[in-house]
Amino acid sequence: MLIVEDVFTSYGMIKALNGVNLSALEGEITCLLGPNGAGKTTLMFTIAGILRAQAGAIKFDGQSIERLSAAKVVEAGIALVPENRLVFPTMSVEENLVAGAFIRVAKDRAGVDDDIERMYTRFPVLKERSEQMAGTLSGGEQQMLALARALMSRPRILLMDEPSVGLAPLIVEEIFQIIRDVNADGMTIMLVEQNANMALSVADKFYLLEHGRVTFEGAPGELEQDDVIRRAYLGTE
Amino acid sequence: MVDFIQNCIDGVMIGAAYGLLAIGFTIVFGVMRRLNLSFGPSIMLGAFFGTWAFLTLNAAPWMVVIITITGTVITGIYVERLCFWAIRRDATIASMVSSFAVWMQLEEVAILMLPGRTYPFPEMFVSGGLNFGPFFFRAEHLTTLLIAVLMVVGIRLLLYRTAFGLALRAVSESPDAAKYMGVNPSRIIFWAFILVSLIGGVAGYLLLATDQQVTPYFGLWVTFKGLIAMMLGGMGSISGAVIGGLVLGIIETQTQWYLGNAFKDMSAYFVMFLVLVLRPGGLLGQGIVERHDLAFRRV
Amino acid sequence: MSDYAVSIVSNMGMIAFIALSAYVLLVVGNISFGQQAYFGIGAYISGVVTAMWGWPLWLAIVLGCAVAGSAALVIGTLTLRLSGIYFAIATLSFAEMIRLGLLSVHVQVEIDGELVGPDGAEGFGDIRWIFENDVTPFEFMTIIYVLLIGVLMVLVWVERSRLGAVIRMVGGDPLLAQAQGIDVVFYRLLATVFAGIIAGLGGCLYAHFTTYIEPNVFNVMLGVHSLAYGLIGGLGTAFGPLIGVGLDIGFLEGIRVFQGYRMIVFGGLVAVLLIFMPRGILDEERVHRIKRWLERS
Repeated sequence: MLIVEDVFTSYGMIKALNGVNLSALEGEITCLLGPNGAGKTTLMFTIAGILRAQAGAIKFDGQSIERLSAAKVVEAGIALVPENRLVFPTMSVEENLVAGAFIRVAKDRAGVDDDIERMYTRFPVLKERSEQMAGTLSGGEQQMLALARALMSRPRILLMDEPSVGLAPLIVEEIFQIIRDVNADGMTIMLVEQNANMALSVADKFYLLEHGRVTFEGAPGELEQDDVIRRAYLGTE
Repeated sequence: MVDFIQNCIDGVMIGAAYGLLAIGFTIVFGVMRRLNLSFGPSIMLGAFFGTWAFLTLNAAPWMVVIITITGTVITGIYVERLCFWAIRRDATIASMVSSFAVWMQLEEVAILMLPGRTYPFPEMFVSGGLNFGPFFFRAEHLTTLLIAVLMVVGIRLLLYRTAFGLALRAVSESPDAAKYMGVNPSRIIFWAFILVSLIGGVAGYLLLATDQQVTPYFGLWVTFKGLIAMMLGGMGSISGAVIGGLVLGIIETQTQWYLGNAFKDMSAYFVMFLVLVLRPGGLLGQGIVERHDLAFRRV
Repeated sequence: MSDYAVSIVSNMGMIAFIALSAYVLLVVGNISFGQQAYFGIGAYISGVVTAMWGWPLWLAIVLGCAVAGSAALVIGTLTLRLSGIYFAIATLSFAEMIRLGLLSVHVQVEIDGELVGPDGAEGFGDIRWIFENDVTPFEFMTIIYVLLIGVLMVLVWVERSRLGAVIRMVGGDPLLAQAQGIDVVFYRLLATVFAGIIAGLGGCLYAHFTTYIEPNVFNVMLGVHSLAYGLIGGLGTAFGPLIGVGLDIGFLEGIRVFQGYRMIVFGGLVAVLLIFMPRGILDEERVHRIKRWLERS
């Protein structure tokens, strides 16, 4: 569904992505693992159109999207849940959900309202807090809201950048269960994670990113788990 | 050609002082990510204390130097506590506006102390000049350059060879990471302000002793020069600040010579605007504040 | 209403325009030190239109705003890549260039035996529209406030609409906004042009109220003040900057008893206020709570 070919992205003189090749198959959960600084977030931003690659191609269902602006990428059906910036803190939970459906709200207000109801059914906690300012939610609730909000744009693939960061282990379990559920409903997911254990427990396929390049790809059973986890956390020299 | 070179020489001398001012802004912005609009006015107030001492107590030049610098430092502490320490770290605009409000306060204090527009500022302890071929070097300019060079060397040593300097650089990089190292960012910021006030006081003295007069608008003037020099050279580096100062000095003297006073200031702003639009990282920056710097900077 | 009161209230009204202008930019996420440039452009252009060309005031206002808006569009486009302090300094540079440029503009025509027009540092006097049309200060004040209320209505309407939510999103977190599919560039430019027009409108009124303008009026002090109004009054609503203007000018006049110490007192109060309310009196949180309270009752 999503193919990244030979993508190079740099900031001035810092080369963050040095020829990344990977793909995400429809209906699967694909995980990106790797140490800090490997380029995982850069890759997410590049796919989402927030950063522009200097070279390479990104194809989504056959359509080339590497030159599209972020707004157009969202319209194409790709939704990003960025790391750490989960919500608009001064807006209410409900307003955040409406924001997620920004591209549809003018034409299809009724559809958006239906979707909000659907999100409330799936995430009852959000319904309880629907009028509350999003900034006052707990970490886990904010992550849930961010996920719900991304789903509001009716994407065909969901990109998630480090959903477990800053959350207590029990909450992380909850979030990952939700990720499994969303995927079970048919959503393709690409996940960046530091928490290699959690990530590998949901992944259909994973890639190891180091120094801006893919150094390993496979299914969770393939490489001895410990080696992958070691390399994912520490990187090789 | 001779004129051009003479202008470059003069420009470099004045630019050295501008560079010091720019270093002041750079260090404070680096360590706090907030703009101190009261930096210039603090220097102005320090200078007013010096002038007052000169006029009412007949203080000797070296006394004036000390009073100017001390006055700047004390004012700097006041500003730091009220506008920066007391305000939440992420409220950048609030701090800036607060420092603006204090600027108004400082100007009024200065006017109350010495009503009237302009006051004579004691000349430097040296005067006269040197001739070297077709070029003329004013003694005040040479002193400024010498002192500026010494200070820059000193600042570099401080930043790169002392524990304090290391802590300061750590806080500039990431206050949270610095905390894990056992550094107290608030304390570092406080001392950074003291350092910066010292630098500012010296720069202010050098500029005023060359000009031999001072007005309450000196604060605004200093702010502009310092900011422009800092931006020209690229923020976040001492070398950049210095280069920015020198470049600003040269631009000023050249445009003043060839195009007259009216264009002197305008050209500085014009160059500044051009640099920001074309190379926002400054002349020494990496030109990478790109379209998508949204990814890494929040207002 | 005494002449003095009319003058103060009119001043507040005109300054409110530039305060709202800076506020719009703050909401979309940019700190501008340069809105005084558009205020000045509006003033000078409208002055030229009525005093030198003899055209009616409404046309002068339209042209003044058009030029100010266009300038804002140009500058907005050039500064798209900038944010935070870079943007602030760029706007400052632009505003100072305008001010310094105006100091060198000497364009005068002879009307009824007198020279009328911008004369560099000597200023641009004889903008006599209100005299020629027998408009009393009180009537002009009404004009100011009618237009101000118009602008406010537009702002309030925008705030309650999707456009307003989008602008706040862009200002709050541009990256997150992009991730929702919002074209951040477009909305930034839109806000910039709108802010320029508002400031220009204020300038047009200012020129005709005071009948004399000079470049040094449109200096950085005015610019930073306009920022301060929003910060003091609160960035949660368009009424915030108005409160800021009211407090500043009204309070400042009110404490005249502190003659000679006014700025010390006022500056100190502002600094203290910002410690406890860094986003102003009516900040986003407070406004949110007020809205909820109103909805429930």
